[in-house]
This record gives sequence, structure tokens and C-alpha cells, in this order.
Amino acid sequence: MEWELLAQQVLNGLTIGSMYALIALGYTMVYGILQLINFAHGEVFMVGSFAGLGTLLVIEKVAPGLSLVPALALALVAAMAAAAVLGVLIERVAYRPLRHSPRLSLLITALGLSILLQNLVMLLVGTEDRAYPDRFTEALQEGFDLGAVHVAWQQLLTLGVALAFMAGLTWMVQRTRLGKAMRATAQDPVTAGLMGIEADRIVALTFAMGSALAAVGGVLFGLNYSINFFIGTQAGLKAFIAAVLGGIGSLPGAVVGGLLLGLIEALGAGYVSGTWKDVFAFVILAVVLVFRPAGLLGRTVVEKV
Amino acid sequence: MRRLLQSVLLVCLSGVLALPVDAAGTWKLGVAAPLTGPLAKMGADIRQGVQVAVDEVNAAGGIRGQKVVLVVEDDKGDPREGMVVASKLVQSGVLGVVGHLNSGISIPASKEVYAPASVAMVTPASTNPQLTERGLKNVFRTIGRDDQQGKDAAEYVLGRGFRKVAVLDNKNAYGQGLADVFRRTFVKGGGEIVLSDSVTTGDKDFTPILTRIKAKRPDLLYFGGEYQDAGLLAKQARRVGIRVPMMGGDGILDGTFVTLAGLKAAEGTLATGPGGTSQKGFNVVYSKRYGEPGAYSAYSYDAAHVLMAAMGRAGKPERKAVLAAVATTRNHPGVTGRITFNAKGDQPNFKFSVWTVADGRFRLVQ
Amino acid sequence: MRALVLRVLLVAGLLFLPAVLLALPQGEYQLDVAMTMLLYVALALGLNVTVGLAGLLDLGYIAFFGLGAYATAILMHGGPAQAEASWGWSYWMAVPAAVAVAGLAGLVIGLPTLRLRGDYLAIVTLAFGQIAKLTENNWDALTNGPQGMEVGKPILFGLELRAGWQLYYILLLFVLLVWWSVRNLNKSAIGRAWVAIREDEIAAASTGVNVPRVKLLAFVTGAAIAGLVGSFFAVKQGFVSPPSFDFIETVTILAMVVLGGIGSLPGVILGAGLLAALPELLRSLPGLLGLEGQFDVTPYRMLLYGAAMVLMMAWRPEGLLPDAHRRAELHPEDPSALPDKTEEVRA
Repeated sequence: MEWELLAQQVLNGLTIGSMYALIALGYTMVYGILQLINFAHGEVFMVGSFAGLGTLLVIEKVAPGLSLVPALALALVAAMAAAAVLGVLIERVAYRPLRHSPRLSLLITALGLSILLQNLVMLLVGTEDRAYPDRFTEALQEGFDLGAVHVAWQQLLTLGVALAFMAGLTWMVQRTRLGKAMRATAQDPVTAGLMGIEADRIVALTFAMGSALAAVGGVLFGLNYSINFFIGTQAGLKAFIAAVLGGIGSLPGAVVGGLLLGLIEALGAGYVSGTWKDVFAFVILAVVLVFRPAGLLGRTVVEKV
Repeated sequence: MRRLLQSVLLVCLSGVLALPVDAAGTWKLGVAAPLTGPLAKMGADIRQGVQVAVDEVNAAGGIRGQKVVLVVEDDKGDPREGMVVASKLVQSGVLGVVGHLNSGISIPASKEVYAPASVAMVTPASTNPQLTERGLKNVFRTIGRDDQQGKDAAEYVLGRGFRKVAVLDNKNAYGQGLADVFRRTFVKGGGEIVLSDSVTTGDKDFTPILTRIKAKRPDLLYFGGEYQDAGLLAKQARRVGIRVPMMGGDGILDGTFVTLAGLKAAEGTLATGPGGTSQKGFNVVYSKRYGEPGAYSAYSYDAAHVLMAAMGRAGKPERKAVLAAVATTRNHPGVTGRITFNAKGDQPNFKFSVWTVADGRFRLVQ
Repeated sequence: MRALVLRVLLVAGLLFLPAVLLALPQGEYQLDVAMTMLLYVALALGLNVTVGLAGLLDLGYIAFFGLGAYATAILMHGGPAQAEASWGWSYWMAVPAAVAVAGLAGLVIGLPTLRLRGDYLAIVTLAFGQIAKLTENNWDALTNGPQGMEVGKPILFGLELRAGWQLYYILLLFVLLVWWSVRNLNKSAIGRAWVAIREDEIAAASTGVNVPRVKLLAFVTGAAIAGLVGSFFAVKQGFVSPPSFDFIETVTILAMVVLGGIGSLPGVILGAGLLAALPELLRSLPGLLGLEGQFDVTPYRMLLYGAAMVLMMAWRPEGLLPDAHRRAELHPEDPSALPDKTEEVRA
């Protein structure tokens, strides 16, 4: 019984962790290239989640017969597109003019944007918590038993989609020319520029991709839980911690950090207490940072003198 | 540049200072609730409930031929802003206030701000027992107290024969207060609490704790908290394979609970709450304007009517007279029941009814 | 000389403010707004030591404010378990204790973390802020958890200081104290060491500045100031509960510092005053325009607040009243930005 319980909690933890990981990737990508903590990223996630909801509601109206998989795929694509546009817009309008300002000014802009977006969404959709339509979540609520471990379709779907996107991103960054250009710009924007890589385009692209991944997280989040204009803060904070835990700037680090944070939370809530779990997560973060300032998988940067 | 900044600052300052002076002698009613921020939905319930009541009175000719003026302020659910807003309401000349949502604001604001000004505060939502236990003469509530509600719930559960219960709360003032009283009463009545824990408000994933609960095999899950968390709990309880019913307080008695939990997971959920007889008429009027009433809409509607009735009885727009009239409220026919205040400002006879979700709606059981 | 006259005038104005405000029709509320502004001025001055002078981004700042408030509440009332004041300290004894508790917490958090580079420091302090709030919410036996604790008023010569104007003077005293100490620290060798670290840590170290110690001092000073203000907040509010110490408060104070001009005392005071007054101003905007009741500004309040932060950074990233050094860094082409004597100091 004990082992089955543990396995069940690990599954619970990986499910929420995979959503953290998707959001954390966006933080880490932007940080890797601009050394900017994009505090508005949590709100992009939130907007993505609402875009997914909006799409599903439109589908319900226009094509109520559309079956589950194409409907969800459509919602996913729409959410990714909306978030990508928003991400690029944020970069272009708010961050680019400040690229040579002190880092603190950028941080304040990011915080201001976050407040702005939250309240904008509140005005548009209201303050009520919203759930994705029953038709899409109800079927996924069911599951099957694997021994004594109960696996819900929802968990399987979440893990599957998240892992697929993470794999896709890794492939893109490691194998394609575009990925190479991104890595080059992250390493040394000036030299990359001399090689004919347009830094501005790469930065915009990074924002678009990070935001689209956050939207994937947002749609999965909406399918699993409920959403409101405020979810970006909490989820963004968690994902950010995940990114730092894994080593900010490192893509595998963000994934490991996200999954690990999910596990810490699940085991904390599952074995100790639902209220102290966040304290464990934060203490572990602090300890990791003190002993391994660059995070678990981050490279230690030697400061140039 | 410096000049410019100084003048900007000056203009801002004078703006804050030069508030319009209000003519004395109008029937002014204040409402203070979180209208922005994470609690904005419940704040909207309160504001809309009050608005419906005020419009009714005004449509019927107002109080002694004069219309009631509503002053709305946003406390954001933040204790510091709550105090500032309270003092703003007092200064703007309100005769009474419907609010606040959070006990953490109602407790200090009633004592520090409203009491010295003799302003009657009728809260439709603060259920913390402490609020009315401090000897203040200006505090009232149309809602019951946590200790009444938790007790009524536990007695109902025992009466239905449930013996093994898992208790969760969301560790805010309301949820914890409610769950604590439930735990005490339930154990005293011979029940067994198989697991007791809290979740953090704002969290969305409760599967780990529910997995733990499932392993303890309770025959009921009691939750102290609001419908946002409760809806997710019910949904996820089903996902991890818990098939026993869930029960909560009036904080979950909201149509949104069913939407959030999903029809199947919500079915059979129990909740304590007001059991008013004329709820239906109010529901229709309210729904027409704002959609389905929220958990606090009816209490707020009643609170506003209690205050306006007191204004009418007082006969003159004067705070002390209105306060004295509120304190003598007896058998006021509210939509949440007959309202009678005792010396503390509570309703000693407030009896919580039990509701259950059947066919996707909360319906009265007893 | 002119600056001195201005300063004396300002202090005199602040001294007589309650008398003026209370003569106004909405005086009590105005006084409350004035106190809110002063409270944030003090908090911003404290955060400015950490962030503005020493360049350490502290995102858990509000936690020290909370510690000060809770320490005061607990010392004055002995915690919820002994509601009948088994400790029962007077407020005046609780104040230094609250400062000490917050300062000590700053020391404990600062010691291991100040070695970290900027962004990481921000995260560890952010985590600390969350832990503090969760602990306040969960440690029922000490803090009464989410139910909060009631706090009595300060008593002076047997007189309970309950009225708004009485509390105002306590706060004013605190603010002047904070301002005076920050100003003197700023002018001293320590202040110069802070700026040196902020500008270039390695260069500072190589000229003999004890970097870790000086950093720690900045961090602890900021924390202690927050603790002092927190102890006032507890008695002013008459009630402490966890929602007052949310992360968003740190963000607000940080915005004040940056808006006014990071590192510049007049700037920070201006920024804090403006941003603290802004929400109240927006609250009464419809009334001012004669549109009372016709136009509801509530939903747009926070929207405008966020937009103001973004626009400000695009328009004047160095803040409203910038520090001369910062201004020079941001506008190297503008020779008037840097006073001549600073040139000498640098040379």
C-alpha cells in the first residue's frame, strides 16, 4: 500500500510539475538571451489559458458536434498563437526601448505590465472563476487503474502533451539553424550579429516561442483546474522558482526544476501538510541557491573582471 | 523640470484634499467590499445585492420621500486599504455601511473607524465570532457566525449517520473558523476525524492531499472554505477516485461551484446556508440584472434593507438615531430569513439550513 | 542655504498638517491618506538603502515590515494563547524590540545570501517573503493564524493615543528619524562605500571596501527600518493579519523607489508620496470631475497604476528626481547631468 501511495503521489507531482516546466521554459529562454526576469510571463500564461477557453466556447457555439481531439488541438493552436503575439508585442513595446536601461527599470516595467495585463483581462472577462466546458473535461476525468495506482486520462494527457512540446523545443534548439542562431545570440549577441544573425529577430522569436509554450501550459491548466485573471501570479511565481531551481538559462534545467518542484509539492502535501508544502519548496530553493547559486543544472558563470 | 514636478505633486495633493463637500441631510448608504483583486467576485456579489435593495426602495419613493444615495468603495480585501476606505465612507457622510467581506477588515474598521463615528456596520459576509464579541454597539451581521454554522453542520452530519469524516480548510479566517467548530462539535458528538489538514487558498492542485484522504476511507469530506477552492476539490476528488459526498458552508453555496466542479462531481454535494422562504423572488429580480446570485448576494440585499428600514424608523438622517434603530431590528422579513439582532449584533436564532446539489442546482434539503 | 529653508518649511508644514486637515470637511480621511503617504515614505526610504544605495534587490522587504508588526502585537499581548497580556509590554518597549527582531532577521537572511549575485538574491529574498507570510498564516499558536491579532493603542503618561492626529505625530517622529539616519549614513564613509559597491563591486573591493560587511549593513538597515514602520502599522491598524504582508506590497514600494529616482532621497520621498496618493486620487476622480455616480473608476484603478509604471520607465527610466550619478550614467551625452564637483570625487 505504501509504495502504491508513493507512486500515486509521484504521478500527481509530475502532472502539476509538467505544467510548471512548460511555463519555466519561457522564463529561462528569455533570461538566457536578455538576462531579464520577465515578470509578465505569468500573465502571458493566463492570457493563453483564456484564449483556449474562448476557442472552446466558440467551438461549442459554431460546431457543437466537433469531437474532442480536434477541438482541443484547435484550442491549443489558437492559444499558442494569441500568446505568441502578446509575447512579441510585450517585447517590442515595453522591453526593447529599455534594453540599455538599468536592469531594475526593466524589472519595474515587467511588474507594471503584469498588473496592467491582469486588470485588462479582469475588465474583459470579469472576476469569476471559469472552468473549461464540461464536455471537454468530463471525459478526461475518468481513468484506469494500474495496480493500485489510479491514472486519470487528464494526467496522462497533460504529461504527454507537455513532454511532446519539451521534446520539440529541444530538437529545435539543438538541431535547426534557427536554434543555432538562438544559442549563438544567447552566448554573445555582438559576435552573433557580426555573423549576420539579427539579434532583434531572434529576441522576438524567443519571446514568441516562450509565450506559446506558456499557452500550452495554460490550456492544460484550464483543462485540469479552473482559471481566473489572477492565476498568472501564482503559477508564474512557481514556474519562475522552478526555472531558478533548475538553473536559469538552461532548458533542461527548467524541465527538471519544474518536475522537481511538482514532486516536492506533491510529497509535501501528500505526507506532511497542505499548508506547509510551499514552505518546503521555498526552503529547498533557498538551500539550493546558497550551495549551488547557478541552480541544479546551470553552469556557474565566472564573472568577468 | 523640478518646477513641473513640484506643480504636479501639488495638483495631486490638492486633488486628494479637495474632495467635494457633501450636503448633510441625505439618506446615504455606504458599501465597502473588494471590487478589484482576487476577491473581486465576492465583492461584486455584495455590491450588486445592495444595489438591488437600494433601487427597490428608491423605486418605491425612497425614505420619507427622499431617494437613498449609495456610496461604493473598494477595499481590495486589503486591511490597510480597508481602514482608509472606512474613514472615507465616514467622512462622506454615510449613515450606515454594508461591509466588509473580510473579517480581517471588519474587525479593525468597526472598532477604529465606525465606532467612534457611531456608524452602524452591517456585514453580510464576515463570520468570525470575534467580530461581535468585543462589546461594540455598532456591529451587526445578517450572516450567521462560524460557530453557529460549524455546529449546525456537524449536527446534521451526525444525524445522517456519517461517522468517519475527513476535514479540510483553506486556512483563511472564514475557512479555518468554520472547520474548527465543525471538528470540535463532530468529535464531541461521537464522530471520528480520520484526517484533518489545510490547503492554501489560491492553490489549484489538491490531488496530493486528496490521494491521502482516499487512503483513509472517510464516508464524508467536510471543507471549510469558499466555492472557488471547493469546486476544484470536488472535481479532483472524483479524479483521484473518492466517491463519498463533500460538504461545505455557505461559502460554497454558489452556482459557480457546480460549474467549477463539473456536473457529475458536484452532484450530491451538501452545504449549509440560509434557508429563506422568499429567496425565489429575489433570485428572479437579481438574475435579470446580474446573473445568478452569488454566495453573499442575498445577505447583502438583506443588510441594505435592514439599514434602510432603520433609517426610515429613525426618521431623520442622523447616525446615532439610525444606529439605535438598527439595534432594535426585530423580525425583519429578509430573504435569508427573519432577522433579529441581539445585544452583540448577532442573530441568536439564525438557523442554517442544508442544501444539496441535485440535477446541477443547489436545492433546499431541510 | 535655500535647501535648509525648504527643509525647515517642509518639517513645519508636516507638523501643522493635522491642524489644517482636521479643519477640512473630510479631515479624518485626509489625515488617513496623509498617514498612508508617510508610512510608505518611511518604507521606501528603508528599501532605498538596500536597493538604491547598495544595489541589492530585496523582494522580501515587506516580510520585515510584517515581522515588526507581529513582534509588536505579540510582545504587547503575549500571543493569542494568553490573550490577557501575560507579557504585556508597553508599546514604547515593543518598538525597539520590533526593530531588533526585524534587523536580526535581516542578519540571518543576509549572512548566507549576500554572497549571491543580484538576480539570485532577489529570488532568495522573494522566497523568504513567502515563507514569512506562510509562517504567519500557519503558526496558529504564536500568531493566531489567519484569524489575526488585535493590538491595543500606545499609552503615553496614562493617556491612550487613539485619535488620528496623535498617531500621526508618532509616525512623523519615526519618519523624521528614518530620514535623518538614512541621510547621515548616506553622507558617511559607509554611504560612499555603498555607492561604490553598486557601481562596481570589484573595483570597490580592490580599494579596500569590506564588501560583505558593508552589504550586510545595508540589508540589515533596510530591514530594521521596515521593522520600525511595521511596529507603527500594528498599533495604527489595531489589528494584524497575514494579508497585509503580501508580495504585491513589496512590488508597490519598489515601484515607489524606482519611480522617484533610485538612490536619491528627495526622489524616493516624492515617488512614495505620489504612488501612495495615486490610488486615493483615482478613487475620488469622478467626484472631482463632477461625475459622482455616473462614472465608476474602480475597475480601472489598478489598470492605470500598471500603465503608469510602464510609461514612466519608458519616459524617464532614471526616475522623477534622479540621483546625479545615475542620471550621468543614463544620459552620458548630457553634460549638465553631472555636477562638476562629482567629477572631482570620481577623479
